[in-house]
Amino acid sequence: MDMSNHPLLALATDEPPPFPASYPQLQRLDRSIVCPICKEPFSAPVSIACGHSFCSHCIRGSMEVTKKCPVCHESVSEGSIRRNRALEEITDAWDEARPSLIKLSQPPAGPSRKRPPPQPISNDSSLNSLPHLKRRRDSGSRSQSPTKLSTNNHNEAVEFFGSSEEEETSPRENDTEELTEHDEGTCPICSAKMPIVSIPMHIERGCPPIKAAKKVNGSGNQKADWKKVFAGAGKGREKDVEMKRIVKPNYHLSSEKDLRNILSEHGLVTTGDKETLSARVQQWIILFNANLDTSHPKSLSALRAQLTEAEASRKRDKERGKEELGKELETKEGMAKYAKERRGEFERLRKEIMERDKRRAGAAVDTPIEVD
Amino acid sequence: MSLPKRILKETERLMADSPPGITAAPKDDNLRHFDVTVAGPGQSPYEGGIFKLELFLPEEYPMNPPKVRFLTRIYHPNIDKLGRICLDILKDKWSPALQIRTVLLSIQALLGAPNPDDPLANDVAQHWKENEKAAIETAREWTRKYAN
Repeated sequence: MDMSNHPLLALATDEPPPFPASYPQLQRLDRSIVCPICKEPFSAPVSIACGHSFCSHCIRGSMEVTKKCPVCHESVSEGSIRRNRALEEITDAWDEARPSLIKLSQPPAGPSRKRPPPQPISNDSSLNSLPHLKRRRDSGSRSQSPTKLSTNNHNEAVEFFGSSEEEETSPRENDTEELTEHDEGTCPICSAKMPIVSIPMHIERGCPPIKAAKKVNGSGNQKADWKKVFAGAGKGREKDVEMKRIVKPNYHLSSEKDLRNILSEHGLVTTGDKETLSARVQQWIILFNANLDTSHPKSLSALRAQLTEAEASRKRDKERGKEELGKELETKEGMAKYAKERRGEFERLRKEIMERDKRRAGAAVDTPIEVD
Repeated sequence: MSLPKRILKETERLMADSPPGITAAPKDDNLRHFDVTVAGPGQSPYEGGIFKLELFLPEEYPMNPPKVRFLTRIYHPNIDKLGRICLDILKDKWSPALQIRTVLLSIQALLGAPNPDDPLANDVAQHWKENEKAAIETAREWTRKYAN
């Protein structure tokens, strides 16, 4: 059954290539930064009481359904969700290093299709913005200048792999670099200034104007900066920041108006019945709160777009579900099942119609509807 | 059509490298709806049979389990005549860390280890408990008759 030409799979994923089987340790590393729920590298990783880690968005979604750890089934509460900064750093670092390692793990002739270096390098400052490439090369032969090295990075990279042991024994050699990850660099695509570490993620996100957005609210930004400096100094501080977690409402007790208030507070659409509103609030809270568990938060407008898209796709699927019900009704068994499930509803409708008919018979306007 | 990346990935991997004795492929018009075949495990009354199933991934997947149903008739205490399957991971033991592959492997394992103490098809389970030999013979017969 060859399904590789499946019409709907044409839009399939741009999976990064896996490591060859000859590098089981790299394959293992690759697997270890994958969220057990979405099977993607962690985004905004968090840990829960039992010690298992997930993307914040994934585990929050899962806890809406059941308050158990998806891996070990231990009972957990949402309160035990803690941001896992180390895991985020590891995931980011691995993501950055992976393309280079893939290249190194391939036989020399094999063409690599994973992410080419972002844009031709035009000047020195943009070269500096690629710290991961530069560092690799530096450890290979550190006497040469970075500018020179950039012209033949492929060969250098191979050399680096050979000398990896040397690097392990003397990791301090990297200190000879003039720039560290925390210095500012220029994005080679949009020329925005930002810390060098955040450039790869920035490019991956398609160069959103994050810096500009942040600078608008001056004092709030300062506060956030200080918070970064004193990260983890105390939970109390978190309440001062304007981006604080949304507390979940009780969906059974909230009125439609309450839900609409929450939605409009966050600049979201307030149309729909209570069920729709509840679902929207619920999804928004998951998105919003998960977005606070990462050092690469998305803009609120991006989150809103994500919410809208998810809701639209759910709606499409619901409509498809109706078609399936139609199919079910074509079979005898399906029909019997459906009738059994809806007996109460049928009875109610029947009574309503009969009473209406009685009234109408008095007025003698319409032909009665037949109900069997 | 927007399909979660996880479903695409799972589908690709299932088709590229399916577990032994199992095939799964999405329907042309709906990537959430799979045609599945499971080969009866060796040393079981279902050996030699190829069982057809359908699997549907609901909108909430992977937070909610896939819906799976046998299309081929099968004589098994945990599978009723409508093809519905009594399997904990398809119900309360579902976890979003599981996936299509693990579900299908579990179903294959269920064929190899019928559990009449947790029945779905009561008459079959009764038969199984009272006269296991005869029940297994019936299961063999059904496999020959329907699962080819």
